[in-house]
Amino acid sequence: MTIIARRLVGHLARGIVMILVVATISFFIVRSIPGDPVAANVQKLIEQGMAPQAAEQATRVLYGFQPSGSLWHQYTDYMLGLLHFNLGQSVTHAGAPVTGVLLEAAKWTVLPVLAGTVLSFLVGIVMGVYAAIRRNGKLGDLLAISGSLLHGVPQYVLGLLLSAIFATLIPILPADGPVDILFDPGFNAGYLGSLVQHAVLPVATYALAAYGGWILAMKSSVVTVLGDDFILAAELRGMKRSIIFRYIARNAILPLFTILALSLGLLLGGAVFIERIFNYPGLGLLLIESITMRDYALMGGAFLLITASIIVANIVADLFYSVIDPRVRSGEEVSA
Amino acid sequence: MTKQAPGVRIDGLTVVYKTPAGELPAVRGVSLELPPGSITGIVGESGSGKSTLALSLLNAVQPPGRISAGSVDIDGLGDVVGLAGEQLRKARGRHIGYVFQAAQNSLNPLKTVGKQLLDLGRSHGVEDLRGLVREAKDLLGRMGLDGARVLDSHQHELSGGMRQRVGIMLALVLNAHLVVLDEPTTALDMITQANILKIVREVHDERGLTTLVITHDIGVVAEVADRLAVMYGGRLVEQGPTREVLASPEHPYTRGLIRAIPRLVGDIDEAQALPGRPPTLATVPKRGCVFRERCALRMDVCDDVDPEAILRGRRTVACHAVAVKEHA
Repeated sequence: MTIIARRLVGHLARGIVMILVVATISFFIVRSIPGDPVAANVQKLIEQGMAPQAAEQATRVLYGFQPSGSLWHQYTDYMLGLLHFNLGQSVTHAGAPVTGVLLEAAKWTVLPVLAGTVLSFLVGIVMGVYAAIRRNGKLGDLLAISGSLLHGVPQYVLGLLLSAIFATLIPILPADGPVDILFDPGFNAGYLGSLVQHAVLPVATYALAAYGGWILAMKSSVVTVLGDDFILAAELRGMKRSIIFRYIARNAILPLFTILALSLGLLLGGAVFIERIFNYPGLGLLLIESITMRDYALMGGAFLLITASIIVANIVADLFYSVIDPRVRSGEEVSA
Repeated sequence: MTKQAPGVRIDGLTVVYKTPAGELPAVRGVSLELPPGSITGIVGESGSGKSTLALSLLNAVQPPGRISAGSVDIDGLGDVVGLAGEQLRKARGRHIGYVFQAAQNSLNPLKTVGKQLLDLGRSHGVEDLRGLVREAKDLLGRMGLDGARVLDSHQHELSGGMRQRVGIMLALVLNAHLVVLDEPTTALDMITQANILKIVREVHDERGLTTLVITHDIGVVAEVADRLAVMYGGRLVEQGPTREVLASPEHPYTRGLIRAIPRLVGDIDEAQALPGRPPTLATVPKRGCVFRERCALRMDVCDDVDPEAILRGRRTVACHAVAVKEHA
């Protein structure tokens, strides 16, 4: 296990450097976008007839703080803050710390997307195996066609469709936010039940949209493995079907873990449409909002969070491979 | 453990593959006997049907192929063409060992050799798994490998020659006495090749096996086999004791094959390639002799009549020209 530990240390060091680089780049890119909400507000107040001093005062009261100093100064402040997980304050959220705003939004993104991804992954790979084994029969065709169709339909179309059918035409499921506000947040049956009920449609949308990709990827992976010599060899040695099935499954699923890890990394950023359709106050909506409102700190924070999650997903995927694939593991073992 | 080398009688075996042009024979009417305790070599070019024939011994012709006629009778097992399901599965590995080409990856890349050995043992209901591991280590040690280390290795940590020895071990570890080796030395360097052939010979003698070696390399057969069978276009054209066939080949194809081997001494130009190309599944003539297109002794009768295998001393030859000479 020391090899894995060594790998982990290397990955973490590289990951941290990458995050710092991304923080720097996003800091300067965000700051070079034309327009300044604070200046705009001061300007607006002055135009309304307020004295410049009073206008600045009023703006300071409105936002709760006044950004100042040179760009370089702001940058060092930002990076120092970053070391304490302080990403600054959000001007659109009355000066609330960006970290808190992001975390609050993240939970409404992570939970449904994670549930949807895991669900579609599990269903997709099982169906993919069937589609591969029965690829010359009707069932295989049916599964492959369903995969292609669903893979081709954009996420937002599926979302609108589900919302129209199950929330409007036959109103059996809610599409009006993440939870019923009647219930007190906490570990009580009413609140949790309401959470689950509200999550059904968005989770189903994620799952359906991703399922097609999984079934197609798993099918082609299984077909490749079925053609491998070691499967025929196992048959000719008289191995039990159940053991051969395990050989096939483990070898076929291997390449899919990369896709899974990367899609989990992307899950924080890619949910704008679904959050809009089902009124989930998640990260996607927050990012859009921060861009339209020129909320630099929030924008930078959201970018940083998305990047960091992708970097972390990559590290996890790589470490995971060292655990499950002996060929990756022994890369360093041989020389040792 | 009292099993003896089984005899094998292949009779009138025909294997067809389903193609858009209908079912085409890859092996046609092949009859061949493997005497108990013998090593038989089957030689042929790619596409001659030799691998299909080898798979037929395990009734393991892969779809879209199927055995359409004939029988493969193995002592102690009966006709394997009639076996199916669990019976067939249990015969594979336990009665018949199959060794893949070294270059083919015949091991699960994600599991160690030892774990796959245990999978094999469990598949065949071996109760004494420790004994199985001991037997495997013995076999590997016998072939010059460090058994414990090999069992703890993954496929990618083994060289071609080591993999081939692992393949032989897995074919023999359940005490199979009929062993089929498909191109056992292809893609190995000359020294490893010589080693593997020596091992095949020695293990064959020590354990009392009946062995079938499939190869395109006539040198391999010359080195290990007691009997030689030559295949062309899905037909068995000549067979007999190896020395006899090599010393005085009768079928024009066998002669061509032997003439095509470059000698170590003498003029390199003496080696003559056989003109033309071997037929594929689609181009094998449906009537008449399969070899006539490339044959120097072609006669009118070859176009219409498939030559039957005629017995000449201790060997059989399927050729009209040879038959004519016989009668003359």
